[in-house]
Amino acid sequence: MVEGKKSVNFLRGILYLSPALILMAIFTFYPLFNTFIISFKEEYNYMTGKYAEWGFANYAKLFASGNIFRTCLVNTLVIVFVSVPLSIGLSLLIAVALNSIKPLQKFFQTIFFLPYVTNTIAIGMVFSVIFESHQGLANAIITEFGGNMINWLGGNIQATTIGKGFLDPNNAIFTPQWLTSMIVLMVYIIWNSLPFKILILLSALQGIDRQYYQAAQVDGTSKLRIFSKITVPLLSPQIFYLLITSFIGAFKEYTSVVAIFGNNAQSVGQRNNMATVVWYIYKKTKEGGTTMGYAAAGAVVLFVIIMFFTLINSIISKKRVHY
Amino acid sequence: MGIIILLLFVAFVVCMLVLKKTNVAYENFQRCKRGNVYIENADELIRREKIVKVVRYIICYAFLAALALFMILPFYWMIITSLKTEVEISLVKPTFFPKEFAWENYKYILNIKNYQIETSGSIRFNLWRLMYNTLVVGFFSTLGTLVTTVMAAFAFSRIKFAGREIIFTLFLATMMIPGEMMVISNYITVVKYMRGIDTYWSMIVPFLISVYYIYLLRQNFKQIPDELYYAAKVDGTSNFKYLLKIMIPIAMPTLITITILKLMGSWNAYVWPTMVTQSEDMRLISNGLRNSFSDSEGRSTQGRQMAAATAVLAPLLIMFIFLRRYIMRGVSRSGIKG
Amino acid sequence: MDIRLVNLTKIFADKHSEVRAVDNLDITIPSGKLIGLLGPSGCGKSTTLYMIAGLLEPTSGQIFFGDEDVTVLSAEKRGIGLVFQNYALYPHMTVKQNIIFPLQNMHISKTEALARTQKYARLVGIEELLDRKPKQLSGGQQQRVAIARALVKEPKVLLLDEPLSNLDARLRLQTREEIKRIQRETGITTVFVTHDQEEAMSISDEIVVMKSGVEQQKGRPQNVYENPINQFVAKFLGTPPINIFAGKVQDGGLYIGEERIGDSNLENQEVTVGIRPEGFEISPEGTLTINIQHIEHIGRDKSIVATNPYTEKETFRFIVDSDNNVFENTNVKVLVKSNKCYVFDKLTEKRLQ
Repeated sequence: MVEGKKSVNFLRGILYLSPALILMAIFTFYPLFNTFIISFKEEYNYMTGKYAEWGFANYAKLFASGNIFRTCLVNTLVIVFVSVPLSIGLSLLIAVALNSIKPLQKFFQTIFFLPYVTNTIAIGMVFSVIFESHQGLANAIITEFGGNMINWLGGNIQATTIGKGFLDPNNAIFTPQWLTSMIVLMVYIIWNSLPFKILILLSALQGIDRQYYQAAQVDGTSKLRIFSKITVPLLSPQIFYLLITSFIGAFKEYTSVVAIFGNNAQSVGQRNNMATVVWYIYKKTKEGGTTMGYAAAGAVVLFVIIMFFTLINSIISKKRVHY
Repeated sequence: MGIIILLLFVAFVVCMLVLKKTNVAYENFQRCKRGNVYIENADELIRREKIVKVVRYIICYAFLAALALFMILPFYWMIITSLKTEVEISLVKPTFFPKEFAWENYKYILNIKNYQIETSGSIRFNLWRLMYNTLVVGFFSTLGTLVTTVMAAFAFSRIKFAGREIIFTLFLATMMIPGEMMVISNYITVVKYMRGIDTYWSMIVPFLISVYYIYLLRQNFKQIPDELYYAAKVDGTSNFKYLLKIMIPIAMPTLITITILKLMGSWNAYVWPTMVTQSEDMRLISNGLRNSFSDSEGRSTQGRQMAAATAVLAPLLIMFIFLRRYIMRGVSRSGIKG
Repeated sequence: MDIRLVNLTKIFADKHSEVRAVDNLDITIPSGKLIGLLGPSGCGKSTTLYMIAGLLEPTSGQIFFGDEDVTVLSAEKRGIGLVFQNYALYPHMTVKQNIIFPLQNMHISKTEALARTQKYARLVGIEELLDRKPKQLSGGQQQRVAIARALVKEPKVLLLDEPLSNLDARLRLQTREEIKRIQRETGITTVFVTHDQEEAMSISDEIVVMKSGVEQQKGRPQNVYENPINQFVAKFLGTPPINIFAGKVQDGGLYIGEERIGDSNLENQEVTVGIRPEGFEISPEGTLTINIQHIEHIGRDKSIVATNPYTEKETFRFIVDSDNNVFENTNVKVLVKSNKCYVFDKLTEKRLQ
């Protein structure tokens, strides 16, 4: 600890912190409050600074029927509640499997970490090529096994369309086409999020005292019980950490959507049917004119939702997580 | 693909259930009275155990191999497609390996030309220009971030002053807030007040600070024992010199990790650069890639798209091969409670 | 049920080296006894215990439980209870859940499982702690929980790995009595591993002294103490430790330096002489001259630090009754009790007399 008089140390501390403090003030703290304020200004024009009046008009319009924001919210919630549990479950299985082998462990570990070091846009384009509705790799594999091609991203009338039974093809957004596009998106999001989770879980697994497993072995515990009664509880801090971070990450899903479906976030024929909340925010920010208020309101809604989930998570974790 | 994974998943669970059954033997001998010979058919038990073990290994490896295949398949398909000719790509039945290597897609991508608009009307992917932009932005934002991070981490870990804990808590709290909250106002700040459209600095300055890296480095600094500081004081070293000559070298692995992660971040930056650039000449690599092939041109440009994607990924993969240790350590550390 | 180890060998090998952790061990552990495996750290005693448990597979040799060869049988099928050095209590489970865990694996009915949990909790004296988490317990209490968890399966063999090493001195005394009591009450064949000779000697029915993976001596603790087979065993047992002098045998006499301290029927040769701390008697007719450096009064005894030119270390320590009148920095004569004095071969360190 640096010695010195209190006043001198205060100056010294502020001096060392000053670059960080100034940048944080301009690019983090000020915008945070400013965005809140903008969200309450109706018809706010950011270039002139003029606005019609204060109130909740922006929020009301967001949730008004017919606004694309509703679609965005539904899409985002679907992404969150499907991709997060799936990817955490899958990465847990992979981590446990990786931890139980010896030869080739490092090799597999490297392969499973590879997607972490990628460009989301580039690989997203690869996925849209793989799931191309005519003779992309996915359809090639399916036809190889005698199945019929699937109309993944639309545009192939001869291909099978999944979900015809329960999704109305005439719905504005949630058509069978939406379903297959969502599946493709989900596969990509999970593929993209596995490496981080596997790495975290694997290094946590390797940190667990071997004696717990030896004790369980001596007691004749089955592998399934060891997994559910010992491994998972001992990993609960990491699982909880992953749960919170991937919830937040999934709520902010944007780049992967743009990567596969382009800047308009649409699969063939339908306008913005794959849009997410963050896509909406950026779209409205860039549109210029008086749409900034909607973007701000959307951001505040996102913020509230994330805070809400984080809060619920931490309440649950108090009961469930064993530190 | 999904079906295969599902099947493997089911197989994995089934195997787990099978393993449960083998415990019956154990139960039997537990019920015997003490003192009796209680292990009957030890040979039989041992044989069965061995079979179960082998089966378990086979399933384990099969599961891992299938998923590993799933993980590298996009990379494989990207490279394969980029090496196919246009004719081969448009075959009804796609080939899993190019009939002959066609370098035409790479010739197109790597060619330096100054025009931006293709004859077809779409934007041309100008690799070298985009790469140059990205490197400029990446270099300066990494350098700046290192400076602010080192200074802030030093203040937070070594200098005791009133309000330190409050400021630190405030910093940490911002990590919970979605960045979209800031982007909107920052856009106004940069575009309206700073006139930063189509400038390098507008893509650098807002990202010169990272609370997460400050946190990471502070933890590292905190582990350095106080005795080192006192020893340096006795030798008449100034605070700044102590930071420069002792703390930074000790924390070098963390700083290298930060550098790599930050560079990778610039390479992958998409949202902000899209907002503050209008000229295709000022785009960063991810934007350029997305914009160049955004309109659905059908299958004809798949080869070029994949060649472009490969070119964008190549530096990242090379970095990964050489610096895997640093990257994995930096990432795995974030999961461990501080 | 007795346990037999036949030519048991364990070699740990990696690319660069090979370590013989256990070397041709031949031991029979009689049924219902408490056996201590004793030796300095790295002597292979824990490895032996883990091989008996089935957690390590022997490189060669066999392990018999009764008449059955269990050498390659996996741990859970051997019917053993194992208490780990750091207890390995599951941190996320309460004491009760920890103890009942093995029973749930065996699909024992809930009522019986609860009854057994209660029974063994009572046996080790932790009934009132059942709803706590391991973190909320002291080291001694954790130890008891670990023993209860090992016993609740009613195994035929109880194995303890350094059971007392994580406890403070006072608890250690208390817990070792406890282990002895529990073992007597249950009559279970028990093997425990320790590096603390006092601990092993105080509660074991028999001890096995090991060094570098090789068995040195086995027997009742007092027997081993009184008749050590070699210099290593003599040095390892007893506090304060035995004092070692360079000596020689000449014409039927045992000498330290030029002073004859006793008789010997060995041939003339240079030898090592070991004398227990209680083997000295201060007397005017003494045969060995020593210089007293320092005197410590410890109750009814005096512990004396003295020098002699022929000691192995600079000083040596012995114990006499406190009514002896001695002073620091004086030369005195001492008699050496022949039954507390051992003669070892200078090279092989084997006991000669």
